[in-house]
Amino acid sequence: MLNRRITVAALAAATAIGLALSPAAAQQKPPVKIAAIAPLSGAGAFDGQLAVEGMKAMAEVINQRGGILGGRKIELVTYDDKGTPEEGVSAAKRAMEQDNVDMIVGGWFSAVALAQKEVTRDKIINVMTSSQHPNVTEQGHKYLFRLNATSTMMSDTYSKFICDKMKVKSVAFITINDDYGRLEVENYKKLLASCNIEVKGNEFYNRDDTDFTTALTKLKALNPDAIYVSAINTSQGATIYRQIRQTAFKGTIIASAGNMNPKLIELSGPALEGVYCVSLFAPDSQNSSLKQWMTQYKKDFKNEPSFIGSLGAQAVQVLAEAADKAGSSRDYDKIAQTLKSRKWDTLLGQISFTDKGQAMQNIYLVQVKNKQIVSVASGS
Amino acid sequence: MIKGRLPLVVAVLGILPFVVGNAYLQHMLVLWAIYALLALSLNMIVGYLGELTFGHAAFFGIGAYTSAILSMNYGLPVWLGPFAAAIVAAFFGAVIGYVALRIVGPQFAILTLGFGSILYTITNYWVDLTRGPMGISNIPPFSLPGLDIDFTRADRMYYVALVVLLLVAYGCRALMTSRTGRAFIAVRENAPLAASTGIDVFHTKLLGFTIATALAGVGGALYGHYLRVITPDLMSLQYVAALIIMVIVGGKGTIIGPIIGAGIYVALLEALRVVGSLRLVVFAALLTLCVIFLPGGLVSLWRRYAGRQAAGGAS
Amino acid sequence: MDFIVLGQQIINGLVNGMGYVLIATGLTLVFGVLRIVNFAHGEFYMLGAFLTYYALTLFGVDYVAAALLATIAVAGLGIGANRFFFRPLRKEHEFTILLSSLGLSLLIANGAEELFGADPKYVMSPYADEASEIGPFVVTEQRLIVFAAAAVVMAGVYWFIRYTRMGKMMQATAQNPEGAALTGINTDFVHGYTFALACGLAALAGALVAPTAMLFPTVGSWAVLKGFIVVVMGGLGSVTGALLGGLLLGVVESLGGGYISLGFKDAIGYAIIIAVLLWRPQGLFSVSRSTR
Repeated sequence: MLNRRITVAALAAATAIGLALSPAAAQQKPPVKIAAIAPLSGAGAFDGQLAVEGMKAMAEVINQRGGILGGRKIELVTYDDKGTPEEGVSAAKRAMEQDNVDMIVGGWFSAVALAQKEVTRDKIINVMTSSQHPNVTEQGHKYLFRLNATSTMMSDTYSKFICDKMKVKSVAFITINDDYGRLEVENYKKLLASCNIEVKGNEFYNRDDTDFTTALTKLKALNPDAIYVSAINTSQGATIYRQIRQTAFKGTIIASAGNMNPKLIELSGPALEGVYCVSLFAPDSQNSSLKQWMTQYKKDFKNEPSFIGSLGAQAVQVLAEAADKAGSSRDYDKIAQTLKSRKWDTLLGQISFTDKGQAMQNIYLVQVKNKQIVSVASGS
Repeated sequence: MIKGRLPLVVAVLGILPFVVGNAYLQHMLVLWAIYALLALSLNMIVGYLGELTFGHAAFFGIGAYTSAILSMNYGLPVWLGPFAAAIVAAFFGAVIGYVALRIVGPQFAILTLGFGSILYTITNYWVDLTRGPMGISNIPPFSLPGLDIDFTRADRMYYVALVVLLLVAYGCRALMTSRTGRAFIAVRENAPLAASTGIDVFHTKLLGFTIATALAGVGGALYGHYLRVITPDLMSLQYVAALIIMVIVGGKGTIIGPIIGAGIYVALLEALRVVGSLRLVVFAALLTLCVIFLPGGLVSLWRRYAGRQAAGGAS
Repeated sequence: MDFIVLGQQIINGLVNGMGYVLIATGLTLVFGVLRIVNFAHGEFYMLGAFLTYYALTLFGVDYVAAALLATIAVAGLGIGANRFFFRPLRKEHEFTILLSSLGLSLLIANGAEELFGADPKYVMSPYADEASEIGPFVVTEQRLIVFAAAAVVMAGVYWFIRYTRMGKMMQATAQNPEGAALTGINTDFVHGYTFALACGLAALAGALVAPTAMLFPTVGSWAVLKGFIVVVMGGLGSVTGALLGGLLLGVVESLGGGYISLGFKDAIGYAIIIAVLLWRPQGLFSVSRSTR
């Protein structure tokens, strides 16, 4: 914590000196303000922190290149949505009405995204990040975009792998009780049934639970070949993986889509070794923009680059390039049209947006090997 | 305290949105008015009946859900929502109060905590009705038949909330000067003595508790139709703690106290954004200092001041 | 087979319950002796767990030493908390004292979030992942330690209150503060070490339970709620009540979660409390108030 402060202070000082020395008056131009609305306190605080760090690192990369729109720098304004829809709505109102930001990045949780999109609807460009609920982009508001694959897209890819390669006959689920978890179970029940894998049971847990032994004892007694863990929150995920091991479950663990990150592996200990997961983020990819971002990230922050951070970075990257190409940070019709009109080379590979603003991304299959996330084979 | 100056106060409150001018600060004003209403309702239990409740947020939530569900699924006109919310919240309040008010002190507080938590869990899991943890979004905003006013705008909604707040504040005042209000105080100060003078202690308390829960329900309805999104988190302890802070920092057992307390709460949290991530730490520190050095709440400052004036005048 | 699951759930419940017992004992002592409902109690649980983590990672001592260091340090903090946040308010209304404890709780929790960072931590205990299979039942060594250590400590606390001079002074102060002061007992001193004992117990609970789950700065609010439930169920001020109430709550939650619905686990716990309170408002195991 302290170290990071010093690093940040040192960086700031270095930048200040650099600016003082540089003769050009590029700084006169106003910055492009992007609101970063993320859970920064409460149960999702760590994941929110990772997200914001990812965004900051990407903004730094772009600013070092000289910014966008002829020398305007990107300035991130962060807001805490506490992981709740009400706070998300308040934060979006504040960003638009008080701080007058140019664009908004938010929606890490589906419930927050669903509420927030009504406030920003048709008023400002709003990129939703990790939320997976299909309804976020279903209605297709004209300024609304979502980066993450929907949970339906994720489970389509993942279930094929589970059916074909994993050699399990039955699965039990431990699922978070929210729209994300409920939808995942529904999807997999259908998808796995189609390849004759029996779903033996499901237990819902709450966002603030810390003890899962009761649920795991119950699931273990059903004797499934595998337990599918649906968890987005790093701290809860790690607790579940640890406790699966502590209840002496000997079968396969299947990790839910998207939440694999270095911290989770570190915290979960041996429980995660060999476990598969699908993700948009494969840290061993050779993408040059990814490498640049990861270098910057490791320089600025003490955490390891994570999926959630890369998604934040992608949001900043796409918005910056789109605004640059559209020639304005405020002409939302033009920016939206630009975003939908072409393919974008991002740190997570090439993506495009549908008419409703849903991103079409590469989905990678990854596995934890020797405490590292390695990609196994590229999916759709 | 503000007897003669009431019209002035109302006038000032009336032009506030124009003074602040900016949509976000107007949004803060709406939140203040709604929180003040909720704080007044909690004050009925904490300040007048002298019992601590941890279940109050549940009634706030019940009000919000009642009004949202009835207006979205059953075609209830939105402006009738707060009335329906009051009735349903009062029903739950009366039933829970009937069971819980037989017990006093910390045990009562835990009983209300228990009922609140059960209501929260049911809301969280009755997905068919409440959409569970996903919450309800796109709740219709207030509208008046025949008039085209956009009540999602804070400067419009503020007047709705303000009118309700003033009505409730006036109602509280009328109640507390009535026989019933004096019975509340008698019960708070000494229940056995009150009983000996012929006051039905249990039913007096039940009446106060039910009124308070009905008001919390109204607050919930206003909140839901304004923010247009509600989740079971409305029923969580975080809101109870916030309301307790407003009531006690402002000054319990008064009408102006909780209203000021709500204002301080909203304004302070907003003002402290300047200290960045230390915001909640500084907030907690100020709160604790305020409690230690001003145990009677902010209204006690006024009493001290007035007391000194009076003493000075006499000498 | 079903019998095995039942037995396993009861074991899970007893272990969790023993954690509740340690938390609740401190709460009930503070209430009994000082008449304070201390909302900040859970934060001392959180501090106990975090200090154990830092002792492990920064000083490199082993888990047992780290747990002891954390317990002692937090006991010291408890004395400070009493001195600065509760003693000045001794004569104030109980709601005012309650708000002071609420403020202290917010202060510690938010301060911890700032100081310790948002990243979840894990207290590495050598006993955490090793599952011992006792017949058909599975328990990790860590969970056995939670249960055994708590049982020993509870016996110690009982002995301390019952048979030592300091313990008897606590009893006297609890029964009649004015009377105790008149007989020459320094009640300020008694209040101080009662707080130290209470906070130390909470910290010990944190240190013991930490290796079974991830650690984050807001766990305190969870701990204090469980503590309150147990204290009220067992009877305010009663140590025996806290012991039996804690174990009962653990088992009830575990069976309710296992056989009815996991999501309703907490609600089932609350339903039991409501039933208990309506049946016996003074708690299951409390001595009648009239003896005061």
